[in-house]
Amino acid sequence: MEKKIKTRKRVFISSYNKYFLILPVIIIIGIFTVYPLIEGVRTSFTDKNLLKEEEQYIGFNNYTKLADDEVFWLSLRHSIILTIVVVLLQFVFGLILAWAMKQKVPGMPVFKSIIMASWVIPVAATVIMFKFMAQPDIGFINIFLKLIGFGDLNKYWFGDINTAFPFIVILHLWRNIPFYGIAFLAAMHAVPESYYDAASIDGANGWQKFRYVTLPCIRNIIIVMITIHVLWTFNNFDFVYLATGGGPVYATNVLPVYVYRKCWTSYSLGQGASMGTIMYIILMIYFIIYIKISGREEKT
Amino acid sequence: MKKGVIIRIGITYLVVIVSLVFFIFPMLWIIYSSFRTQPSIFTGEIISSVKEYTLENYKTILSVTDFVTYFINSFKIAIAVTLSSLIFSISAAYGLSRFRIRGKNVIILGIFSTQMFPIVLLIIPLYLIITSFGLLDTVIGVVIGHLILVLPFSVWMLKGYFDSIPVDIDDSAKVDGCNILRTLFYIIMPIAAPGVMVVGFFSFIVSWGDFLIISIINQSQRTATLTLVIQRLSAALLIRWGEVAAATTLTIIPTIILFSFVQRRLVEGLTAGALKE
Repeated sequence: MEKKIKTRKRVFISSYNKYFLILPVIIIIGIFTVYPLIEGVRTSFTDKNLLKEEEQYIGFNNYTKLADDEVFWLSLRHSIILTIVVVLLQFVFGLILAWAMKQKVPGMPVFKSIIMASWVIPVAATVIMFKFMAQPDIGFINIFLKLIGFGDLNKYWFGDINTAFPFIVILHLWRNIPFYGIAFLAAMHAVPESYYDAASIDGANGWQKFRYVTLPCIRNIIIVMITIHVLWTFNNFDFVYLATGGGPVYATNVLPVYVYRKCWTSYSLGQGASMGTIMYIILMIYFIIYIKISGREEKT
Repeated sequence: MKKGVIIRIGITYLVVIVSLVFFIFPMLWIIYSSFRTQPSIFTGEIISSVKEYTLENYKTILSVTDFVTYFINSFKIAIAVTLSSLIFSISAAYGLSRFRIRGKNVIILGIFSTQMFPIVLLIIPLYLIITSFGLLDTVIGVVIGHLILVLPFSVWMLKGYFDSIPVDIDDSAKVDGCNILRTLFYIIMPIAAPGVMVVGFFSFIVSWGDFLIISIINQSQRTATLTLVIQRLSAALLIRWGEVAAATTLTIIPTIILFSFVQRRLVEGLTAGALKE
């Protein structure tokens, strides 16, 4: 009897257990990610507000209101420019860093072991470090500029309408370039040495080897890194919110920050949700194009 | 030829030095400043006289504010997120890596595509859901919020890791009479330990560093974390930079310590999913 139950139990486990393994993640993502997404899109068609109980459907009103909202268009433009500039620069500098880390020179192991530290510390701490360095008179950047004779440039770099945006870019670069470098390096190590030997025999120089051997071989990781960082950068809220709050005078305002303010400062969830939905649509278009392109390339 | 090698080494060290200045110096600068008195920071000098170096900032932060409470909050939340993320993502990744599951590719793509959901959009309903569950301003509420940040990437990373372990190992365990859970815990886990460690580390630092979720779910001291506190300190009207620097240093130290344990494995784990394909 005992044994029979045990066998039956085992049969049950072996045929269904695999579904139990993935069920918790599906449920959590379903309730707390997929449902909120649908509910968020629905909210964008209502006048939901944190300060009042009822909500009403108002059709596309939130969206038509956005069309006339200059700050929205400005933030959208900033978001797109920021994402393109940041990911492009991270990619280029990441490659350079990876190339350098691949060289066998004294001290490199130590360098490799500490370089990713910037990726692990909280963004809030990163922002404070850079805000501190950007302070007028007492910040290191201004102290240094004064030392080399550019004292008249002294200013709060996050507070200047011309330099605030570049400094937001710098924050993103600071955090992620080492991650790109280390990831590319790992992929480079996987390229068989014989490929380079073959290229040498064909008379390829250093640049040609890099261009025609290294790059194609690490193509996969390049695509993955760029894809996730486009999503992460476009969705990133912390850097801008904590460093400048979108200012000065909206000079650094990006969509996530504007959505956040609409929702949690003006409490108009409906308005915020409509902008969030537009962000989602943009990312979905990007994602579909990415799938199409990567699918097509795999076929050829 | 010889000249080429010298140029190559020269450029390499140039990249190394520029990188150290750019990536490491800001951290050293804030740690250094945390040991300086407020007046010495305000002189705008890089080095001050010996008696201007002090532990006063740390004393103030630890005694005057509730810093310790926030530290414990951050720790509690991050540990809970790490453990639950590991349990859920290990089982899901193992299931997806090893078994024929109907709609598997759709599930994998679905989990990955949640990365493109704008979090600022998700937190609108999430706030209402968590409120209706009565979890606002509770550790569980925050942990749920952090889980949705870390789970997709964790599952994806671990699946890549499990995929790189030969299935033969599972099969031989099965022949020896191990069921799924036994195989997973006694056979696969020890082999996948580096990957598991990386996922745990990733979950910890995401939770430890989160600002967005906590700023919505937190309502009182009960769940306030370090990121919220250092943000408040640094947004004060009159910023006491010495104390801000001390608080920031205390916030980054735990992540740096953990990082030093896993850094060797970090790359391998983070890129396992991507390198495999």
